[in-house]
Amino acid sequence: MIEGANKFQVFEPHSSTLPPLRPYFREFWRRREFSTELSKFSDKAEYLESKLGKVWLVLNPLFLAVVYFLLVTVIQGGRGQSGGFTTLCHILIGLFTFYFAQNTILLGAHSITSGGSLILNQAFPRALLPLSSAISAAKQFLPTIPIYVLIVVIGKLFFNDSSLPGLTISYVVLPLLFLLLVVTSFGLSLLFATMNVYFRDTTKLLTYIMRIWLYASPVLWQPDMLNGWHRVILYLNPLGPILSANSRIWIDGLLPTLSQIIACLFWALFSFVLGAYFFISRERDFAVRI
Amino acid sequence: MPSASKEIKSMPENLAIKIENLSISYKINVESKKTLKNAIMRASKGERVRTRTVEAVKGLDLEIPHGSVVGIVGANGAGKSTLMRAIAGILPPTAGKISVNGRISTLLALGVGFNKSLSGRDNIILGGLAAGMSKAEIEGQTEAIADFADLPEGFIDMPVRTYSNGMYSRVAFAVAVNMTPDILLLDEALSAGDAAFKEKSFNRMRQLCDEARTILIVSHALSSINELCNHAIWMHKGKMLASGKPEEITEQYLKFLNVGELPSSYEDL
Ligand SMILES: Nc1ncnc2c1ncn2[C@@H]1O[C@H](COP(=O)(O)OP(=O)(O)O)[C@@H](O)[C@H]1O
Ligand SMILES: [Mg+2]
Repeated sequence: MIEGANKFQVFEPHSSTLPPLRPYFREFWRRREFSTELSKFSDKAEYLESKLGKVWLVLNPLFLAVVYFLLVTVIQGGRGQSGGFTTLCHILIGLFTFYFAQNTILLGAHSITSGGSLILNQAFPRALLPLSSAISAAKQFLPTIPIYVLIVVIGKLFFNDSSLPGLTISYVVLPLLFLLLVVTSFGLSLLFATMNVYFRDTTKLLTYIMRIWLYASPVLWQPDMLNGWHRVILYLNPLGPILSANSRIWIDGLLPTLSQIIACLFWALFSFVLGAYFFISRERDFAVRI
Repeated sequence: MPSASKEIKSMPENLAIKIENLSISYKINVESKKTLKNAIMRASKGERVRTRTVEAVKGLDLEIPHGSVVGIVGANGAGKSTLMRAIAGILPPTAGKISVNGRISTLLALGVGFNKSLSGRDNIILGGLAAGMSKAEIEGQTEAIADFADLPEGFIDMPVRTYSNGMYSRVAFAVAVNMTPDILLLDEALSAGDAAFKEKSFNRMRQLCDEARTILIVSHALSSINELCNHAIWMHKGKMLASGKPEEITEQYLKFLNVGELPSSYEDL
């Protein structure tokens, strides 16, 4: 028996307005297991193809971080010498975090158009597909945190680097920050997933956007390199406040500033509401357009 | 997603599905691909997208009581699959209304949600979850489903890409009929497997219908429709041309197929 499924249903023409939200979210929540399992199984299918897959997922951002670090050091002409290790750690944690957002958005944007036969043959809240992508992205991201910590510990023990904080109370904010990051990226992935149904080159364009986005984010450069009104750049970027706050916690060992927290909350809410609105109001159309 | 509203309780108790004046159309971009690039190019030239509307189902009325087995026949492109998808809540109606009372299990296209590099067992779990079962429920039934599909020794744990067509469809069919649905929708899924499997699946469907569950079957195997169904409809170019006893409908349809003309009484349609 399929427990809890709606027994009475009526299907009628819809305009592009939202369906009743409460039944939608109830159904979405009831079937969340589909997302977690779908993520598990698609990861499994991928690792079956290449045994090194899982290791590569961690190594790839690590190598990139080193490459970027060398680049940044060369560009700065050795000026960054004093805090070389700190710069490396800032790039590492920033890149790991940015990649979570990037994976959520890119995988999520593909999820509807690549879920063709599933969408044509089963009725379910379509947002479960981008959710499954976000879960896969989180499963790639979380193992990178112990690796980052390990690198910091090695730096402290072997190179006597004391510029990075040890255990501080500000770390308790990290789960909240991660939650805001998840909400922001998931919201954006809903927006781009919808766009990709109507314009099939969205994901192609998105790979370029993500690269520019990375350079515009405080990952390869530090947030306090910007002065005065230039700091606006940090706040106009949906991921800017989160990445700045993230670096402030990990690198400076300080709590995020109030303006950072407000900006994080704003972008999370804004992205989620915008993405969910477009997605949910259009998703009944997806089957016709796939 | 479709929503359950309160007014529906007005539907007569004995009906599983009630379709009123249903129309469904697809919009197709006539020219270029659907890309942002093309859209911007068109906008800069002040052109509009040229779309064509295909009316796949037109003004259809149908009432299906609980416990009936309804066969649907019609030529390719008649709108049968579109109708099935609309009943499952996948395609939104363009006009009209569909009321459904009961949980639906669909087998609309073979290999729904099937990932070819995963094993048959994994695919059974994925298929059940996609259809709305919980993991605990589906795991409790995996053995029964695997037994029903009755693949050669060991194949259930092999990647689906190593399956033959017949084995593949047997797994899909086994998932659909073992979900104990209130309403089962089968779109050209009857041809799955060999004579022995056909016998088994017919038995299973008879059992479902003895339990007062409702089955809709789209099939080109007219003898199967005669054997299984207690009602049949004939769809032609999106409209319901005839509805009645399976033997009569399939006979008329067969005649139409052989002669290539509609019976004179339908000509005004
Ligand atoms: N995804 C689609 N997009 C556009 N048109 C479609 C789509 N699916 C079906 N059609 C059109 O709708 C009509 C009915 O198709 P269908 O319901 O698949 O018929 P049947 O299952 O009876 O063969 C056909 O004219 C077909 O071209
Ligand atoms: Mg068909």
